[in-house]
Amino acid sequence: MSPRCSIQFIVWIGWLCASAAALALDPKTAPPIDFSHDIRPIFNKNCVGCHGGVKRAGKISFIYREVVVAQDANDDKPIHPGDPENSELIRRVTTDNEDDRMPPADHAGKLSEHDIGQLRTWIQQGAKWKEHWAWIKPVEPAPPKVSKPRWIRQPLDAFVLAKLDAEKLKPSPEADRAQWLRRVSFDLTGLPPTPEEIKNFADDKSRDASEKVVDRLLASPRFGERWASPWLDAARHADSMGYEKDPLRTVWPYRDWVIRALNDDLPFDQFTIKQLAGDLLPDATMADQIATTFHRNTQVNTEGGTDDEEFRVAAVIDRVSTTWEVWQGTTMRCVQCHSHPYEPIKHDEFYRSFALFNTTRDWDLADETPVVQVPTNEVSFAEARKLDAAISAKHLEEFAALTNLAARNLNWQPLLPDKATATKGTKLAIQTNGTSEVCTVGTVAHHSQFTIEAPLPAGITNLGALQIEVLPENPDAARLTPEIGFVISQLRLAIVTNSNTNNDEIKLAHCFGDEPEPFQDSDDSVRDDKSGWGAYPRLTQPRRAVFVPAQTTALPAGATLQITIAHEFGAKDMSALVTRRLRLSVTAANDWIEFSGSPGFMARRDEIAGLQKLRAAIPSVNLPVMREQPELFRRATATFARGNWLAKGEVVQPGVPKVFSPDSDGTLSNRLALAQWLVSPANPLTARVTVNRLWSELFGIGLVETVEDFGSSGQPPSNQALLDHLALRFQNDLGWSVKKLLREIMLSATYRQDARSTPDLVARDPRNRLLARGPRSRLSAEMVRDQALAVSGLLSDKMFGPPVMPLQPDGIWDVIYSKVKWETSPGEDQHRRALYTFIRRTTGYPSAATFDSPSREVCLTRRIKTNTPLQALVTLNDPVYVECAVALAARMQRKAGDDLRNQITHGYELATGRSPTANDLRTLEKLQRSALARYTAHPDLAKQLNGSPTEAALTLVANALLNLDASLTK
Amino acid sequence: MNSTLRHLERDTLHQITRRHFLRDCATGMGALWLTSQGLPAFSAVPRRDSSKPLAVLPPHFAPKAKRVIFLHMAGAPSQFEMFQPKPELAKLDGKDCPQEFLAGQRFAFITGTPKLLGPVHPFHQEAKTGLWVTDRLPFLEKHFNKLCFIHSMQTDQFNHAPAQLLVHTGNQNLGYASFGAWTTYGLGSVNENLPGYIVLLSGGNNPDGGKSLWGSGFLPSVYQGVQCRSKGDPVLYLDNPPGIDRELRGDVVKAISALNQKTYERVGDPETVTRIAQYELAYRMQVSATDAFDLTKESAETHALYGTKPGTESFANNCLLARRLAERGVRFVQLFDWGWDSHGTDKKTSVTDGLSAKCREIDQPIAALLADLEVRGLLDETLVVWGGEFGRTPMRENRGGVEMAFIGRDHHPAAFTIWLAGGGVKGGFSFGETDPIGYHPLGEPVQIRDLHATLLHLLGLEHRDLTYSYQGLNQKLTGVRSSKVIKEIIA
Repeated sequence: MSPRCSIQFIVWIGWLCASAAALALDPKTAPPIDFSHDIRPIFNKNCVGCHGGVKRAGKISFIYREVVVAQDANDDKPIHPGDPENSELIRRVTTDNEDDRMPPADHAGKLSEHDIGQLRTWIQQGAKWKEHWAWIKPVEPAPPKVSKPRWIRQPLDAFVLAKLDAEKLKPSPEADRAQWLRRVSFDLTGLPPTPEEIKNFADDKSRDASEKVVDRLLASPRFGERWASPWLDAARHADSMGYEKDPLRTVWPYRDWVIRALNDDLPFDQFTIKQLAGDLLPDATMADQIATTFHRNTQVNTEGGTDDEEFRVAAVIDRVSTTWEVWQGTTMRCVQCHSHPYEPIKHDEFYRSFALFNTTRDWDLADETPVVQVPTNEVSFAEARKLDAAISAKHLEEFAALTNLAARNLNWQPLLPDKATATKGTKLAIQTNGTSEVCTVGTVAHHSQFTIEAPLPAGITNLGALQIEVLPENPDAARLTPEIGFVISQLRLAIVTNSNTNNDEIKLAHCFGDEPEPFQDSDDSVRDDKSGWGAYPRLTQPRRAVFVPAQTTALPAGATLQITIAHEFGAKDMSALVTRRLRLSVTAANDWIEFSGSPGFMARRDEIAGLQKLRAAIPSVNLPVMREQPELFRRATATFARGNWLAKGEVVQPGVPKVFSPDSDGTLSNRLALAQWLVSPANPLTARVTVNRLWSELFGIGLVETVEDFGSSGQPPSNQALLDHLALRFQNDLGWSVKKLLREIMLSATYRQDARSTPDLVARDPRNRLLARGPRSRLSAEMVRDQALAVSGLLSDKMFGPPVMPLQPDGIWDVIYSKVKWETSPGEDQHRRALYTFIRRTTGYPSAATFDSPSREVCLTRRIKTNTPLQALVTLNDPVYVECAVALAARMQRKAGDDLRNQITHGYELATGRSPTANDLRTLEKLQRSALARYTAHPDLAKQLNGSPTEAALTLVANALLNLDASLTK
Repeated sequence: MNSTLRHLERDTLHQITRRHFLRDCATGMGALWLTSQGLPAFSAVPRRDSSKPLAVLPPHFAPKAKRVIFLHMAGAPSQFEMFQPKPELAKLDGKDCPQEFLAGQRFAFITGTPKLLGPVHPFHQEAKTGLWVTDRLPFLEKHFNKLCFIHSMQTDQFNHAPAQLLVHTGNQNLGYASFGAWTTYGLGSVNENLPGYIVLLSGGNNPDGGKSLWGSGFLPSVYQGVQCRSKGDPVLYLDNPPGIDRELRGDVVKAISALNQKTYERVGDPETVTRIAQYELAYRMQVSATDAFDLTKESAETHALYGTKPGTESFANNCLLARRLAERGVRFVQLFDWGWDSHGTDKKTSVTDGLSAKCREIDQPIAALLADLEVRGLLDETLVVWGGEFGRTPMRENRGGVEMAFIGRDHHPAAFTIWLAGGGVKGGFSFGETDPIGYHPLGEPVQIRDLHATLLHLLGLEHRDLTYSYQGLNQKLTGVRSSKVIKEIIA
């Protein structure tokens, strides 16, 4: 058959098939229609724009079965299973009446006969609705029959080979040892094999030589460093807070936690639980708390005049989106504003997820509270944690006693102020409406100080305690949309009588607040400093505190109490943290004085001070972590109308979308329950999404290419049986062990294939989705740097600790309002692995950014690799790479003496992991010769680069070696 | 799944398949295949070739402008001291701002009841166009016949970083592609030896939104803006290191190409071929970019015109560079000038002294840029955009509730002014009005997304069709809310 005939034949067959479908023949003989494969794409392409999750024209949505499929013959829904001719859908897509026909001409236009036929047959066959593949739990696929069972080394290979058989392709031969060793070394440790490792492997004739290599690399501490980078991309981990000022933050203990967890092969389910909810685990360790920094990597906006609540909400939204992208490959962003346009996820379901993250104590504060003090030396973790727990227990003990005391009936008498003034132009008013209240009027100035005078209530002859209540301006709304907070930096109390000229101050000893473990010490409110008791930064509900004098003070009859309230806390470019509504009362009972003077109270305070002193002796850094609000203050969550956080709708309960939790209503109590659900057997996605991400790191492309989107609009898997097999094996047989999973992949026949390709194969499968050859891709930004340092012998193997600053051109770090400078790290810190380089969000390390390293502002689960001229300029000219070339040349000379050919061979092997061909050698020798001639003629030029003409010429060769395609790829 | 071939990565597949199919099957079958697909053989339909991501692509329709020079005054310049006289506001100067303007509004720093503030500099009408201007912009005034004002701009962000992100990426959140990235993605780059999207900074600080303002977001990073510098290497790492001259660099690149060619022959990875091309391009760029950024090549007259001093970092230098880059076909030149945040917290940020100084810094260079582009016949095809991320309040700022020593204005998202010039817009024209005190636009405001739709339209791109598939959506610069092209301003 000539090619022309064959094409015509195929076209003809295609027409025949289409016609058969269009006519919707006998449903018994017609091939079964698959909803996900055949019908949902028609709906998604043609219908859901108007009849979907955002718009539901005529209340019709083709996303939800119950909305469009009729229950019985009388139901007026547009799809009647088994009866296409009585289905309005069919009438609408087939009618000749242009006004009636769907889709309208100015939208998608008339459906093709083929699509109409598919719809008709599908309805005839019962209109079976099927969930999108990714939301159905994977089932272990049967091992397929394959053409060449002997090729199979690991169970996964069978699924690859079956696909190749179906495509009439053959796997490539096994890669030579050098090629596989380079690949596996980069994939497991991010570094090239050393010449000794290459030689040892080449010489190892034992049957398990490959296994030994993989096990050696898996055990290397370099493993955790290599695999930390992609996880830190997903965790949007950076050393600065982001936004305008982009101040620096200390979060490296989290990065170190990730490296250690990966090196320890912490099972992925535990890895998940600790990062999402380590703080909620019973007996959470220091490491468990550090893990929760995962979700404190969100940005903090310290720009003047920004609303802390607005950016707290932005951070919570980021946590929701990130969680769903990283664990579920699901894009949630659009559900903030409306129901998902094409997935069955409803608007309020976003806020159920939001509710799970909406009850932590962080509030977009510049000091990043809440923080945990992480010892700089890991050996002190246990001791520090023990002290923290003991201090916290003592605080809670005291708070429990205070709660009891506050419940006593102490006959509090309200004060009825007759005078209230404020400084800085703030105006106060006294409102008497049942109770008496002091409130601000109009503009409230920063740092205003109030002076309030009130006559003594009848019957009060001595002062046992003063109580202050602070109220929101709108108590009903404040719970959902909090008001500006306040901090009482100091409260003073004095007695004013007609006779005394100097007011008699009543010395206050304590302020007892209503919060179990406040960020600021309540007692600061009786001291002359800026911090104190309050609602910081926001007020969500009525608050109260009790001020207690050192001793009972007799009050002369007819005296007036003068209360002075200072509000010194808070930066001038943020909202004024001034009390806006307050009520005062006093008691004559001396219960509070007795309590705070009791031996038990004082002993506990001494104990706390002693413990705090011990704790302070452990050198530590403050790390932002997740911490739940105390129950009393826990936020409620309501939907936001069209995504506007100021427009609250219905209150919702925490949970996950129904589509992900078909067996229940999706309710989950808190973050810990969410984390446990994500890694439970009930979850269809976590294992699939995780193995797919690992796979994409190794093969350069995921089995689902859209690593971040497993939804119905993402790419379907290239080999679902393989994906499901790997997911189930990872989750069940391998107990979520990443190392075990990687080991199986590295030792598979699939991964061992030669990466060499033919034009035919490139044409047939340009991106190697069928896996008929081994993977080959450009090194990541981190690997490019690490390799250059490693082969030149400059690489430091120092692990952990604060980020470092390698060489960087001047003038990169000009961030406004910021005095921080990039100062090149001394000594070996200049040559640390790329992972340890300081990452500032607004201005990334330029050479890494050129190689597609992300800014780490938002979660990124897939780096798209580019190939640009700017990359060439980096590895040719960046002083870091020039320094590497100088060192590599010296190493070539040390190893090979004066023999040029040996020098070049050694350098080539270091940079590419394989031996040069005769042709390669000739090209490089020619380069050396011309360079030597030029440097000999211009010895000054040689000196500028690297000493003698011979040394300079070899350095130029080394510079070329670091830029070869074979060096920049794995 | 949408069948458009816009997703770059999927394009690779189609492109390579098609290329090889056509090549390997000689003529007969390839042509037959195309015909069977209902496509004309050797179709004129533009196809994106991911091995040449910056190749020139035809626009969707005939463009008015071929390139953009975007002058962003970071911090947000005060419309009331430059282009919006507002005599009513002047009359009300010092009066309490009416409560109707304050109820339900959020401000960055203003609290309580601020006082209205009339324009602090005298206004007059420019002779030919009748458009109003203060005495702070004597040079620019002479080119008012080229300017097209939009006085009814509106944004929904009132903090710098998110508002700048909205102006440049169409979204206040991080992670979206910038206007310049969309432009080079949509049209490619004419000059193969220079980046297609170049960013220049002045004013001593990076803009508040940082690098994301010229980032590629979800687009491949090849489309991100390249920040060039007026001091040191204009492009990072452009210069050869000491001890490697042009001849030696040439030898190195030649050797790399030869070795990579052998690698390609052995391994057959098309990426290797791209890499060879990129190294050779980098080598050419070393000369062309150095030349483009060398201001010493300009005449004394030109330096006098712009007020430039080579070797320093200034807005004037950047204006002259913008012209040199435009001449060389750079698609998108983005300037940021920092220092326009006139809160009045000190003399430098007052609308009196501080703003006057900033006006002096930009007045002559922008006038020179417009004149120079016109003389060289480039203005018609170059769209110049001037503006900030929002406007400033008609009220005087009272930070912390107290009257401040210097006069300033707070952030004002409800109404602000930008202007366009060249590239197919009406000159000496004014669009949109605000109420007598300049608080709200009268009639329909122009949203940032409307501006984007309009600018893309001038470049020959339909904003609804310039899409990139990411996270299950066909992402657009103009986002998911409806936006409209402002036809009234198009010449």
